[in-house]
Formats: sequence, C-alpha cells, structure tokens
Amino acid sequence: MTEESTASKLITGDGRTHVGSGLMRESLVSAKLMAETDAGEIRPMVPDMTMVAIGGSSIMDRGADAVLPLTKEIAALNRDGHKLVLGVGGGARARHTLAIGLGLGLPLGGLARIVGGVEEQNRDMLQFILAPEGAVTLIKDDFQDLQLFLSKGMIPVTIGQPPYHFWEPPPKEGWLPENGPDVGLFLMAEIFGAPSMVFVKDVDGVYDKDPNRHDDAQKIDRISATELLERNLHDLPVEREVVRCLVNSRLLTSIVVINGRKPEQLRDFLEGRPVGTLIHNHRYVEKEG
Amino acid sequence: MAGRKDGKIWVDGLTTQFTGQSLSSLDLVESERDHPTIPVLPDLWVVKIGGQSVMDRGAEAVKPIVEELVAARKAGTHLLVGTGGGTRARHAYAIGLDLGMPTAMLARIGGSVPVQNARMIQMLTAKDGGIMCYPEDFEKLPLFLQLGTIPIMSGMPPFEFWEKAPRVGRIPANRTDAGVYLIAEFFGAKGVLYIKDEEGLYTDDPKKNPDATLIPEITARELLESGQDDIVVERAVLEYLERSRSVKEVRILNGLKKGNVTRALNGEAIGSVIRSSKA
Repeated sequence: MTEESTASKLITGDGRTHVGSGLMRESLVSAKLMAETDAGEIRPMVPDMTMVAIGGSSIMDRGADAVLPLTKEIAALNRDGHKLVLGVGGGARARHTLAIGLGLGLPLGGLARIVGGVEEQNRDMLQFILAPEGAVTLIKDDFQDLQLFLSKGMIPVTIGQPPYHFWEPPPKEGWLPENGPDVGLFLMAEIFGAPSMVFVKDVDGVYDKDPNRHDDAQKIDRISATELLERNLHDLPVEREVVRCLVNSRLLTSIVVINGRKPEQLRDFLEGRPVGTLIHNHRYVEKEG
Repeated sequence: MAGRKDGKIWVDGLTTQFTGQSLSSLDLVESERDHPTIPVLPDLWVVKIGGQSVMDRGAEAVKPIVEELVAARKAGTHLLVGTGGGTRARHAYAIGLDLGMPTAMLARIGGSVPVQNARMIQMLTAKDGGIMCYPEDFEKLPLFLQLGTIPIMSGMPPFEFWEKAPRVGRIPANRTDAGVYLIAEFFGAKGVLYIKDEEGLYTDDPKKNPDATLIPEITARELLESGQDDIVVERAVLEYLERSRSVKEVRILNGLKKGNVTRALNGEAIGSVIRSSKA
C-alpha cells in the first residue's frame, strides 16, 4: 500500500503519470492483491427493500389465474409498508426466442441481446395491473432513484435479464446464456444490499426431483448453495448460475423459493415465517427469534 | 385463438425444443449438440489501447499508436478501438474499497475512466474518422465501418451494477481486457490486439521483477494452471478463451515500439499470443 504522503498525489518518474493510491502501478490481476482487498465491511445501498422475482413461465404464462391473486397479495403487502421491487422473467416467449435464434446461428451475445425483449412485455403487463396500486417501471437509468420510488410507496417493476448483451460471457456449461432473469434480479438485490430475496415460482420450493413429474419427489427445506451445487440436481426451479453467484455474494446471503400459486407464501416470507426452500451461503446469519 | 397447455396460455407455433423444461435442466447442459455460429463481423480487428500502459504515458506514447491505427484504417483495415482505464480507475477503486463499496459499485465507478480515455482518442482521431461508439451503437457498426470511420469504445463491459462478486477480493473481475475480448467474441472478429508497454506476456511483472522472461506463446489453460500470480491480461480473458466459440486467441504487444501495431495488423507473430487450449 502507498505511503500516506503520496496518497492522491500525481506521481511521475516511470514514464507514466500515476495518481497515488494503494492500487498504483498494480495490474489488478495478482491473486495476492485480490486477497488484500477481501477484508473490510461492505455497505448496503437500499437494504430495506425486498426483491420479488416472478417467474415468466411459472407465473406470467398462466395468465389471470396465477397473476391476479399474486398481484392482489403484492398490493396488500405494499399497503402494509413492505418495500418491494418486482422483477420478471420471459417464459415461453423467451424459450421460443432462444430456439429460433439458436437455429439461425446467432452467437451467444446475440441471444443475450434479444431475449430480454419478451421480459419487457411481462414487465409492462405487471406494471399495468399494479399501476392503480402505485407500480412504476424501473429501468437501468433510474437505478439510483430507487429510494425516491420506495419512499413514495410505489412498486417498481423491472425486467430480470442483466444488461450483459453482446458481452455475455461464454457459459461454464451448455450452450445457452447462463445469465438469465434470475441472475439479473439476484445481482440487483445484491447491489441494493438486501439480506434475502424471494423467487416466486409454481412449486413449493426446491425438490430432489421435478415434483410435476415424480410423485415421490421430496422437498428440501433448507440447503447451502455449495451443497445444492454438489448435489447436481437434474432440475432446479432457479437458474443454476444464481446458486453459483450465491456462493460468493456478500450482502445477499440467502434466497427463498416459494410457490406463487399460493400467494400467502409471499406474506409468510416477508413476515419472517419459514416457507418454501431456503438456500444460503457461508455468510448467512440466522435472524434472532 | 389461444388455448392452454399444462395450465399455461399457449398459441400454435410456440412449442420448441425448450418447451416444458426448465432452462436449468441438466438435459439441456448434457445435450452436446453442435450449434454452428454465424460470424457477425469477421473482418473486424478489435484493438485495445492500454490505460495504465499507454494512456497514462500521455502524448509521447499515445500519438504514434494512434497514427499507426489511422494509417491502417486508411489502408482498409476495419478497426474497433477500445480503451483501458489506468491509474485513475485504480485511484477510484482504492477510494471505493476504503468506503466499503461492493464489487458492482466499483464496476460502475471504474467504468467512467475508460470512457474519458475513449473520448480523448476520439478527439485525436476525429479528423480521420474517429467516432464514439456506445453500447447502443453497436448495431450500426457495419455502417460506421463502410464509411471508413474508426469506432472507439470504452473497453469496460456494460455489466456495472450487475458485476458479480468474485470469489476472493472485491475488485471487478470483468474490466477492460474482458470487455474487449467479449465484444470481439460476439463479432467473431478477425483478431484481438492488446497494445501495452511491454513486449508481451512475461513469467512475472517485468516492471517489478528483472528476471521475468517473455513467453511468446502459451495456452490459456497452461497459464491458468501455472499458478503465475501477475499476468499481463485479466484472468477472466483466459477463462473465456477456454470456453469461447469464435475468437480462440489474443495477442499482446508493445505499442511503444514504432511499427509494432502495423506489423500485428498485418498478421506478423510479434509479442505474445495466448490461445485457447481447444483451438
């Protein structure tokens, strides 16, 4: 680390003009340096918000049957003072987009660029339904205005797909973009600094096998992200990359998967009752009482 | 008229190979089908001008490199130029770390410096066709290239608030080397050049260790497995090279030596090349 006397001063002498800092002249590639930046407290940005990720396929594609009871519960929770941000995935139209795009030979970054389009449709539908209750659309450029929306009792609604676009990194496995709406909403909740978030799907949580196909499927009440990855379950109700992100995340230390066909589960989650499946990392600290 | 399928609203033609299964199903991962990818802009060279290594040296380093790029463009080479951040990005990271900021916030604030550098290069090259190219402009690149312009971008990928926390530390893993590589991979580019102030990749940081020796050629996997602590490009680039579909190598060269940029664009094997082990 740099001497106090050179901090923030301009330093020359090796052909470059540096600004004195602990990272001056560093390549930022060194593993030793990474370890040095690991310590220290991380501050949250909007820690009293809760991200509610609403499934595209599992909720939106079911239409009024599933959407209206859920939005009714969301409106009631908002009136009770819960600061909610709604995010939504794409569902059947996203899958159709990927299938056509893949058939056309579009590169991965091209698929990532187009797939969010159908999420915007779902976001606009949710915002429309909840507009009388104060729903507004939340886009990337308004990110730092979140406090304004929440302090006025509004319900911001956003798409999930992260804006990696053409820059979507090649996936660790398979051949589809690994960063979908679940990942995008997870990362948004992480930067806001919420300690937990909820994924609203159409199953009661994570099962050892797909409960829609296997009668003997067993629900998992609570599991660590590392163990869940090691178990390599055939089906997961959330994107696998979310679980990988959870292993490393700092402020968002747990996620809960619930069933949006039973909207009361959302209230259970927000009021701190055990519900669905809790997936946590090694930084997770159980709430007292 | 819309019907229903498994309780979901359905229309004719919506059914595909992905219908009825979770996209996180292992069936999808394990079906190793070949998906040929179209090259989007196969004649494009994606060139990064280093932040700390070039921009922070000022006119003496920057101007001759820009002259070579302009000459190459005039000779018909299609270029997309990205910029690094350098010492001001490091200073901003240092303050952000001190203030307890998470990785994604550092990615957001770190992104401003390469934009400053890109704007400087744009002003320098404006009379020769240099134009700024923001993420929203990339679908117009064919027009820009056919008009003979030199599109200039920030090297930083647009991840910002969505940058993931790394396993260790808080500095964003995807910075300007990664951003330049990923956009080249999307375009199926002809090549990727990193213009730096060293001959190429060394066994250690040659500025700190005089015994470091040049590695003219290596695979990304070998380099990742070597345990080498300091590497001339971001580790993320090495990981992406191993998983890439289109761009299977990147070249690192010393732009301070006159003629090097031109030679590399002419296909000469100068500096160091890092290849995917699956190339």
